[in-house]
Amino acid sequence: MFQDKQGRRWPRFRRVIVAWGAIAACGLVWFIWSILVRPEVRLPTSMRELKGRLKAAIKQSDQTPDDLKALEWKLLQEKLDARRPKEDAPKAPAASLAPRKPRNLSGEVRLGFYVDWDLNSRTSLEEHAASLTHLAPEWLSLVDTEGRLVFTPDAKLTRFAALHSLAVMPLLTNLAGDTWQPEAVENLAQGSSARRAQFIADLIGKLKQCKAAGVILNWEQLDPSYTDQYTTLVVEMAEALHDADLEIWLMVTPGEDLETWDLSALQLTVDRFVAVLLDENSETDPPGPIASMPWLEGWLKILGEFGEPGQWVGVLGAYAYDWNETTHKAESISFKDAMSRASYAGIDQTAVPLAVAAPNYNGIYSYSEPNGEHTVAFLDAISFYDQLRALRAAKLGGIGVSRLGNEDPQIWDTLDLKLVKNTPQTAAALKALGDLKASNTITHVGRGEVITVNDTRDDGKRSVDLDAAGNLKARYNEFPTYPTIYHQGAGEEHEVALTFDDGPDPVWTPQILDILKQRGVKACFFLVGRNAETYPRLVSRILSEGHEIGNHTYSHANLATMSPLRVKLEINMTQRVIESITGHSTTLFRPPYNADSSPARMEELIPLKIAQDELDYTLVMEGIDPQDWARPGADAIVQRVKEQRSEGNIVLLHDAGGDRSQTVEALPRIINYLRVRGDRIVSLGELLKIPRDELMPVPENDKGAMERMVAGTGFRVWHAIVEFFWAFMIFATVLVVLRTAIVAWLAHIHHREAEDAPLGTADLESGLPAVSVVIAAYNEGKVISKTLESVSASDYPSEMEIIVIDDGSRDDTAAEVERCAAADARVTLIRQPNRGKAVALRNGAAKTRHEIVVFLDADTLFERGTVTALVEPFRDPLVGAVSGNARVGNPRTFIARCQALEYICGFNLDRRAYTQWDCITVIPGAVSAIRRSALDAAGGFSEDTLAEDTDLTLTLHKLRYRMKFASGGVAWTEAPESLRGLAKQRFRWAFGTMQCLWKHRDMVFNPRYGALGWFSLPGIWFFQIGLVALIPLVDAILLWSIVFGHAAIIWYYFAVFLGMDLFLALIACWMEGEPLRRAWISIPMRLVYRPLLSWVIWRSILRAMKGALVGWGKLERTATVPSRA
Amino acid sequence: MAQAGCRKRKSPIESLIDSDAALRNHRLLVPDHGLYTGAYIEFGDREDDVTLEKIEAFEKLVNKHQAIVASSSYWGEQTFPGANLRLIARHESIPLVFWSPWDRPYEEGEPPGKFSLLRIIDGEHDRYIDMWADSARELGWPIMVSFANEMNGSWFPWSGLKYGGGTRVGDSSPPRYEGPETFKKAWRHIVDRVRARSATNIIWVLHLMVYSDPNEPWNLAANYYPGPDYVDWLGLSLYGSQFPSDESWAPFLPMLDWPYQELCAVDPTKPLMLCEWGAAELPALGDRAQWIRDAFNLMKSPKYSRLKAAVFWHERWQNGPGEDAGKYSNLRVNASPSSLEAYRHGVADPYFIGYPMLSSAPRR
Repeated sequence: MFQDKQGRRWPRFRRVIVAWGAIAACGLVWFIWSILVRPEVRLPTSMRELKGRLKAAIKQSDQTPDDLKALEWKLLQEKLDARRPKEDAPKAPAASLAPRKPRNLSGEVRLGFYVDWDLNSRTSLEEHAASLTHLAPEWLSLVDTEGRLVFTPDAKLTRFAALHSLAVMPLLTNLAGDTWQPEAVENLAQGSSARRAQFIADLIGKLKQCKAAGVILNWEQLDPSYTDQYTTLVVEMAEALHDADLEIWLMVTPGEDLETWDLSALQLTVDRFVAVLLDENSETDPPGPIASMPWLEGWLKILGEFGEPGQWVGVLGAYAYDWNETTHKAESISFKDAMSRASYAGIDQTAVPLAVAAPNYNGIYSYSEPNGEHTVAFLDAISFYDQLRALRAAKLGGIGVSRLGNEDPQIWDTLDLKLVKNTPQTAAALKALGDLKASNTITHVGRGEVITVNDTRDDGKRSVDLDAAGNLKARYNEFPTYPTIYHQGAGEEHEVALTFDDGPDPVWTPQILDILKQRGVKACFFLVGRNAETYPRLVSRILSEGHEIGNHTYSHANLATMSPLRVKLEINMTQRVIESITGHSTTLFRPPYNADSSPARMEELIPLKIAQDELDYTLVMEGIDPQDWARPGADAIVQRVKEQRSEGNIVLLHDAGGDRSQTVEALPRIINYLRVRGDRIVSLGELLKIPRDELMPVPENDKGAMERMVAGTGFRVWHAIVEFFWAFMIFATVLVVLRTAIVAWLAHIHHREAEDAPLGTADLESGLPAVSVVIAAYNEGKVISKTLESVSASDYPSEMEIIVIDDGSRDDTAAEVERCAAADARVTLIRQPNRGKAVALRNGAAKTRHEIVVFLDADTLFERGTVTALVEPFRDPLVGAVSGNARVGNPRTFIARCQALEYICGFNLDRRAYTQWDCITVIPGAVSAIRRSALDAAGGFSEDTLAEDTDLTLTLHKLRYRMKFASGGVAWTEAPESLRGLAKQRFRWAFGTMQCLWKHRDMVFNPRYGALGWFSLPGIWFFQIGLVALIPLVDAILLWSIVFGHAAIIWYYFAVFLGMDLFLALIACWMEGEPLRRAWISIPMRLVYRPLLSWVIWRSILRAMKGALVGWGKLERTATVPSRA
Repeated sequence: MAQAGCRKRKSPIESLIDSDAALRNHRLLVPDHGLYTGAYIEFGDREDDVTLEKIEAFEKLVNKHQAIVASSSYWGEQTFPGANLRLIARHESIPLVFWSPWDRPYEEGEPPGKFSLLRIIDGEHDRYIDMWADSARELGWPIMVSFANEMNGSWFPWSGLKYGGGTRVGDSSPPRYEGPETFKKAWRHIVDRVRARSATNIIWVLHLMVYSDPNEPWNLAANYYPGPDYVDWLGLSLYGSQFPSDESWAPFLPMLDWPYQELCAVDPTKPLMLCEWGAAELPALGDRAQWIRDAFNLMKSPKYSRLKAAVFWHERWQNGPGEDAGKYSNLRVNASPSSLEAYRHGVADPYFIGYPMLSSAPRR
């Protein structure tokens, strides 16, 4: 079989294979290229940089002389002077107010104000911890009418502070969000003493918990009517805190606070006063200096009248404000932000250079952008030095930096700076202060959540000098630039946009679209390419209902962690999917995971840069993230949108990636809330004032049409392959389950019948025919005598002859047989030149004298009753052949043990089952019995195939003989113990089986052959060839799913296959009386044994294709291979 | 229960929200039993910074929806507060607008200026009035308008005191007085003009101070009454003590009782309301929680059954120059835990109605 006389098949086949392979490879390459090639995304011109749209001008800051704020201290001074008793005798400290321990005011306090919501604050702390002595995080606040204590500690910071010997002094504010709640303090101060005692105990507990050294009271907007009560409260607190070895500091804002707090009384108990020497003009004021020198010095003068100067800590500003004078909104920004804004606004330095100098020593400049006129005031290292100098001149006990993360980094260099005019050291220090080093800190320009990333950075320059007053002054010559994010899309005040990520999803997207349609809302959907490709109809629906579509990568991957090539692939594939479904491309992109509009880390910028610069996308982030994906409940989702509405105007929701019922429930309520509060829910196009057709342009036909076509076809083909695969998996699983059930059921019936009707001795003795036993041997000298002895020892009651055909052995086989023949006269030796097994068997069969011929392999041992069991079924005259029960006699290695199990459950169980329906496919040569007349009718053993036993069996079926399985006909055969030997054996079987199947292909689905044609033969095709060949693919997907977590559903199929294997193994072991634990080996067997079988099958298929070209058939037949079980 | 209630309301609310047309053609009913509860909620210096966040925060504090939300429209702005009123309407509340004819910088104690009653009567501001009326009609939702409130006081530029006060008009008999007569003329001028623009959704509230200042016969409520055809509701500002420097605590009952009788006599048919009511938290002077409890008890007592609405003044302010300079007047409902509890408890009575009752028939 399969011999190709002309030798044409393989070359022809090879040519076809090569041709198709080449076409497929070209298609694949083209497809990949179509994805990698940058799709024609045309960024709307209006989205290109913001840069050109900032225009700047230096504001002449000459308003200081008549700046009323700067003179406020004078008014208070007059008031205090009037109030002060005439005689200047110091008040005698009341005993109860005396501090418990002597106050230690030595050393300069250096207090850093820290916030946990800004990464820059953390970075600054890490870099400058050595320059600080105290740290003030915002951990405590007193809120609500009744004065509830809210505590948000940070164990990491506590550890950090301990490691760097920083004393932690948490702020205790009365802030709820950004609203001061004076009632909280007022009511506590006026409340019962029990309530106060409880609060104080609570506070001390919390301070101890976070290992604080004390607390800083930062209470604002208090009613000065209750000054006495505040004094009582603070004194009570101080006493308890001191007892607990904790300090209490009080923050004092110059101005009204001097009336709110009775500092004269408190100076005796409070450890330190913390003067807030900043916010001369705050976010709620019109633009002006943050802390001008005259203002600061004036207040220092007044503060000096309370307590000793050493008791005071002066907090210096280290930040900037950006006032939008059109919208009357101000932003607190960092020094670096102020530099970036100045730089990108392109301040014209030639006309009026920006200076930090007398009289106010604050930097002030203005710029304009489309949303309004801005004024920026900033404090830098220059102003810091000057203010520090003023503080030290007033002999204050320390300084505070407000706040870490917003400062000019060079303030840290001024802390220990001693400047004396005209010394080289001073000159060097001034020069150093003039260098503005760029860093990796990300700065922000503009407002809105549509961003443009610029990661270039440049150093700046300022010329620094000492002025007549001994203060530093500076002129900014070149502004440093930092990695910058330009923000756009803040829109009008009441404009807000809804966006949905991760879809489409067949369950949730339609529900969300229905709501949006009903409420007349247009949104933007950022699609995951994989999902879009799976649900193209939903993509079309999104677009047809007037919504926008954005790109959210192909597999929802975290771009910050992958190579630039993969980033491009992710983005382009999604673009191609969207193009092929909708005919539109999209210019909108949102990165998965990091959609926060203020990325704080450089590595988050890199993929954004690729999307923006190389692929030309508009980056759409979010400002309102209710984290609906975490399913916090619809109420929480709505509540979070409400809380964050003031911080942004692009809402991020999700329409896929899990159970989105809460999002669906929250959406109408979010729409209600936004609309009631007066918001207009607009599309991104409206927000950015860019028409939808520009955001989602139709690709031009002459450009990239081919790539689009190829990409589209590629996705469809891939889709078809994936769908076929899953369909196949379902089909295969169903068939496997079905077959397992049938086999188990039939085998069970056979087993039961065999048990019910044991062979009766009486029956045996009467009328069993004489038999001939035929053994073909080739180089079996080592085993042949044992084999012969096992046959001789049979308890067969009737006449028996034993014929051994020595197929030209080169060892002592013949001698061994002769020796046995001498002992047992029934043994006959026939010798022939080496001709192969089929010829040997034919030769042996021809020499037999009896009607029933038992065949066994030379390496196979019979049990005493084997021959009897094999002959017994021949009482039925229609039975042509009987299969024995071959078992593995050498289960020493893992490979052999696998085979042992396979013999039991694979071969014998099948035969048990098949015998019930008379559809046994192979009567194994290793142990079988055949009716002589049937053998003759079949034409004896054929040489057509490598599996002469299968061939013979199928031929006998054609002759309408019956085949039986005799479970008692046990023979112990020797299985290959190495993989190599096994592979060789199985290759022979597999190829032989395929030859037989091909030879007898007319029997398949032929109604004449009943169960054989419809059940067992197709079973071989499907289960033993097709499925075994494809199993490695399933295994590969399984591995892939383990590594990448995708396609986890494959596990179910795998579990079913494994379960079926185990099930069959268990019942087989049970029927054969083997220990059930043997069945467990079927699990590792699947992983090791099956790939081998698969390889063998593939090799056989290839060989079959090649045909006689290799001419191996004859060659193989002279080799000895353990025969078929 | 609450949820079921919400669900039932869902669709009408959503239509109010999604369609401006749905706001039109409703008429505010005067409750037979009970009174509407409402509030002014710290809407800033010009009393017009209305936000949903403030309204919802207040409602959460007092645990009740507000049937009425009060805010101002100052003439100096020359605008119609459309966004504010739409917000309030979509929130399913009735706006009460203090439509105050004064100019920046809106300081009390100033003489009449650009928007003096005389100039209004002369028609100098007709274009503004018409614009306002047209916008109000366009919105369509019921709007309670309190024009030139507390005119029987002495602090606003539109006080009768500032237009001749008690000067007798000719030899009128019974005597009529210049101040109140000028006010009525201006009132009628405005109502006539607004009606001419078909803004029939406006509900006119004549809004007086509980006790006139100066408390003289010519300055009494009846003299300011422009007639039943020109007024829909009669209202009062009722404040207890407001300043730390007040000499004594002002209990609720005497503040309400006589002025209520006075208004009842002005017109026997019109519904009455407290357009503003409140008191400062001044523990040194009196028990504000008790004052609030008294207020709720009296408002629902049959004796004052013509009171159909009450608008609480929720605000904390810092006092300017004077005796109380720098000190605060805290009229917030949550100025103290006890006051808040008293208010919550009082307003929880179903007698105080949290949603406006509307008939959808076109008005008149």
